[in-house]
Amino acid sequence: MADTAAPVRVTDCGCATPFGDAAATHAALLRGERALVPARVLGKEGGDPVPLALIPGRTLDEDAPPGWLPTVRRLAASMPEGDWGSPRRPVFVTGSNFGVGGLYALRRSGDLAFAAWGAPPTCTERLREDLGWGPDVSILSHACVSAHLGLLEASRAVESGLAEEALVLSFDFLSPFVAGGFHALKILNADFPAPYRERPSGAIGLGDGAAFAVLSRGRGEWVLEGQSLFNEMHHFTSNQPDASGFTECLGPVAAAARGRRIWFKGHGTGTLEAGRMEVRAAAQAFPGSPLVGWKGSLGHTLGSCGLVELAIAIESVKAGRTPGTIGDEAPAMGDNVAFSGFANGEFDGVVCASNAFGGAHAAFLLTHA
Amino acid sequence: MPEMHIQSVFTDEGRDQTPAEIRERLRGGYPPGATRRMTTLGLMVGSTLSRLEPGVEDAIVYATGYAESCALEGFLDSFPTPSPTLFQTSIHPSGVQQLLIGRQRAVRELLPLSGGPLLGFHALRAAFLSRSARVLLCGGEERGTWLLDYGLASDRTFAFAAALTRESGGAPAGRATLTRAEGAGELGLAEWFDLLHGRRGFDGMVAPGWRLELEWHASPT
Repeated sequence: MADTAAPVRVTDCGCATPFGDAAATHAALLRGERALVPARVLGKEGGDPVPLALIPGRTLDEDAPPGWLPTVRRLAASMPEGDWGSPRRPVFVTGSNFGVGGLYALRRSGDLAFAAWGAPPTCTERLREDLGWGPDVSILSHACVSAHLGLLEASRAVESGLAEEALVLSFDFLSPFVAGGFHALKILNADFPAPYRERPSGAIGLGDGAAFAVLSRGRGEWVLEGQSLFNEMHHFTSNQPDASGFTECLGPVAAAARGRRIWFKGHGTGTLEAGRMEVRAAAQAFPGSPLVGWKGSLGHTLGSCGLVELAIAIESVKAGRTPGTIGDEAPAMGDNVAFSGFANGEFDGVVCASNAFGGAHAAFLLTHA
Repeated sequence: MPEMHIQSVFTDEGRDQTPAEIRERLRGGYPPGATRRMTTLGLMVGSTLSRLEPGVEDAIVYATGYAESCALEGFLDSFPTPSPTLFQTSIHPSGVQQLLIGRQRAVRELLPLSGGPLLGFHALRAAFLSRSARVLLCGGEERGTWLLDYGLASDRTFAFAAALTRESGGAPAGRATLTRAEGAGELGLAEWFDLLHGRRGFDGMVAPGWRLELEWHASPT
């Protein structure tokens, strides 16, 4: 079911990536810069070099308290003040990693200090205390569509009148746990990602990322429409061969976007099969709409990618220019793939889409109010 | 917020059973060989949820604080040669995906939640906010081993699945109503499970500003 009727707006939005805030990230993407660099997959314990993009000053190996905490604190300082976590201003925290780097460090070192931030409930509770929020902080975690679910739940809370405003915070920071896991699946390897490019083998990169959005009803410059989900449940790590999951998810978004010119911010991790399906589904649902993906530069920020890339999409519209698909060159998987940046003033909105394990899909339409 | 009717509810509690005993008890509900890689939580949630026959337009709200603790422990112990199977099995929301992928049951809306002292309330609120005609509210926990020593896993093993609708339908088993109220309270996942498992009525605060009324009809499913 798409939430096409929800008059929900984004009043504030921001992100933190290895390039800096949303404006700095957008500028770096326009310059075609790549945050990904080769790094040992298990940090200080070595392993193969793989493309990772870490926040400057942070290492892949976890500290206690977590080395990512200052980044989240800085991001939180840029949020509007308010009684977040109160019944009228609930918080929705999303991500796929939380303090899992601490679990890895705990198991390797036995140092109890790592336990305090380990599991999603404990990590979020420590963060809630640190940021001074009230108790109404819920957690949504659905791998790489997690942030979309936070936006959806926050939208529903606001749209129903349950909340005056809702805050969505998403964060994912890399660790040997997650890098080692993707490396074991053989999709994180020595190659750099080239999303939407036809080549013999696929590869992804991983990146640190955090972002927030404040949602309200009737206020704010940015409208979220047509929020849509679909879960194929075909296979843990692959999609239905007919790409029906992509089509099912994009259908309600296309209905919401009918009659409007849009550009498409895709998921585009750098895997081949999913990339081809996404390119094809985007072209069918949004004929003539240019498709871009930024994970060739930032890496895949996992459960937070939907919110990190929303912040960059908003920055792109504000600046009037959309960064192209970083890390790419011909041949593309389709004519709709945009390798170069383009002026976006003639467009009415942008579709933001993400995908996840289990054949999970999420997408929405972002327009200027 | 409007009330919701509990059409059906199924629960399972591991009590003192070992994971092997739980697997043996539940394996008959799955195709031969299907349970070999399933987690205890996946088996138990799957067994309760499957009885509700999930359909593509049902919304599924899946709540678990600590998820697949034993797969997570196994994955952490597999370094420096991490196991790809345990990696994907330990990723939230693997518990509910194990059943649905096994049966190739697509579902449009899946909302996997984690959380602590308010997880039961947050799961209920997510169900109430869904626009689907039928919401399948499910979840559970599996008892951890070494993670439990650090307070990073559940000390209980349980699972539940309940079908909620806005329309009362034929003969609902019960009714849940969430309303605004002054005061504070908490409803964790285990507490919510205990209410369902015992078909116990409840009238009290479940979060700051929120009150739950839960009543059961004479002949619960």
